[in-house]
Amino acid sequence: MTPRGTFRLGLVVLVAALAVYPAVGTGYGVRAVLQIFMWIALAASWNLISGLTGYVSFGHVAFFGAGAYTGAILITRAGWSWPTAALAGGLAACVVALVIGYPCLRLKGPYFAIAMLGLNEVLRALVSYFEGLTGGGNGISLPTLEATVPVYYAMGLAAAAVTLLTYLVITSRFGLRLMTIREDEVAAEAMGIDTARHKLYAFLLSAAGPGIVGALAARDQGYIEPISVFPLATTITMIVMVLFGGKGTVWGPVLGAVVLFVSQELVWARFPYLHQLLFGSIIVAVVLLMPRGVLGVLQQRYHLPRTI
Amino acid sequence: MLGQVVVSGILAGALYAMVALGLALIFGVMRVINIAHGPLLMLGAYTTFFIYQALGLNPYLTVPITMLVLFILGALLQRTLVYRVVDAPELSSLLLTFGISIALVNLAQLAFTSNLRTVEYVTGSYTLGPLAFSKSRLIAFVVAAALAGLVFLFLQRTRLGKAIRATSQSREVAMVCGVDVQRIHRITFGIAAALAGAGGALVSVIVAIQPEMGQIWTFKSFLVIVLGGAGNYPGALLGGVLLGLVEQLASLFLTTQLSEAVAYILLVLILLVRPTGLLGGRQT
Repeated sequence: MTPRGTFRLGLVVLVAALAVYPAVGTGYGVRAVLQIFMWIALAASWNLISGLTGYVSFGHVAFFGAGAYTGAILITRAGWSWPTAALAGGLAACVVALVIGYPCLRLKGPYFAIAMLGLNEVLRALVSYFEGLTGGGNGISLPTLEATVPVYYAMGLAAAAVTLLTYLVITSRFGLRLMTIREDEVAAEAMGIDTARHKLYAFLLSAAGPGIVGALAARDQGYIEPISVFPLATTITMIVMVLFGGKGTVWGPVLGAVVLFVSQELVWARFPYLHQLLFGSIIVAVVLLMPRGVLGVLQQRYHLPRTI
Repeated sequence: MLGQVVVSGILAGALYAMVALGLALIFGVMRVINIAHGPLLMLGAYTTFFIYQALGLNPYLTVPITMLVLFILGALLQRTLVYRVVDAPELSSLLLTFGISIALVNLAQLAFTSNLRTVEYVTGSYTLGPLAFSKSRLIAFVVAAALAGLVFLFLQRTRLGKAIRATSQSREVAMVCGVDVQRIHRITFGIAAALAGAGGALVSVIVAIQPEMGQIWTFKSFLVIVLGGAGNYPGALLGGVLLGLVEQLASLFLTTQLSEAVAYILLVLILLVRPTGLLGGRQT
């Protein structure tokens, strides 16, 4: 069997195993895998804008929070079912991305990164301010959910969808153009690429996933408040996962999400006070010593295809 | 009421401008946006707090000490970490300084705890007719304006200042003329950190100190630079005053809570309408 065939077979087996897992797994196990799905979707989404175009988003959790609030409001006030509310959450995140991305991504340089730096704080302030709609600091309680398993499948679907999307983008002309922008934006323009528009499309794609996942997470947790859905720590975790796994790759964010989540559960949960220090150090170390991440190093050493 | 808002806005403006000047210097010379600029301000505030607490020294007299401490810290950061990403793509320098920023905040939480600390030194205000000038803010205004002026003079008049400006214009040509570019980078980062530290020292007398106080300052400093036009040092002063005014107006008509959101919307609008800054991005 060719390596590619083995890889595909392994993937099918893995998906099948994850699909039957809720039937055999413990409650804790199902919840942990659900969380891993969530992190895969978040990390892979960050990778779509920052890994492919090189434009760093320091506020991606803003889309997660926007999705969570949209979903929670639609479920509690309009009586929507949670799957449709989740899709609406994705749409709302795209609208936020459009408003921020249109002015900032027309420009080259650090404007976008800095604009994203404050976005989660601003959305948090707005959500706290418009108490009538959002409940302000009291947050929103959702009606009790009968089972976690449907959300497990929805989250798994979201993770698979964003990963598949990444694969499709990386193997397309659109993806090549994004990577051209990352390597040399002026050259990309000289070749006739409408860089502003391509960056904006990539940004919209990268906002949809966190929006959907945010609404799903709100449904799963049953309660949201401004502090819980806009933490900078979530953005930091996404960034660390992608950098560790390998930015600009299909499987890097997946690898990073699994490895970091598992080690977080096993080891770092005992040292909560050192968490951010550790993540900050990982970012510094990866940027300086291993800028392509684990997968990037493997690609280079074993001549793996770019689409890994 | 409106007069009061204008006064408070201008008083805050000089402080914003001085802190932003540090960020602008690093960006001008190295093309690096230092995300850790705000956390350096936080460290400056703690330095002043601990000197004040241990020695009972007038917090304004600690400004030179704090600046020296932060200068050394900044030069060290440049020497050990940042120098490696000066020529790298923007992504690397942004992520690296972001990592440093998170690590610094967490270190501060570990070392100093998250308790609020205050330096209670000058309280109350001077009144002039209907206007009130908070004492601590007035002193901060004077010191910040003086320091910003000094740095400006230093850049214009001294040999070292000229070397810094030459490096920012063209590193290769500066190198050919015998400028030790690596040393200039360290000094620039040191000066920028010292300015952030001075900002922290002045802020420590005005608001409570805690490890997460700094991050918003990175954003505000950048906003000041954008308002004034990147690479335009007098523009930074205008940008600082404008940001101060907008924030004061927002807290007058809306709530203090929303003043950050208003500053943010201002940034997005400026980038939409006039991305080269209000003064048109003329180089000085």
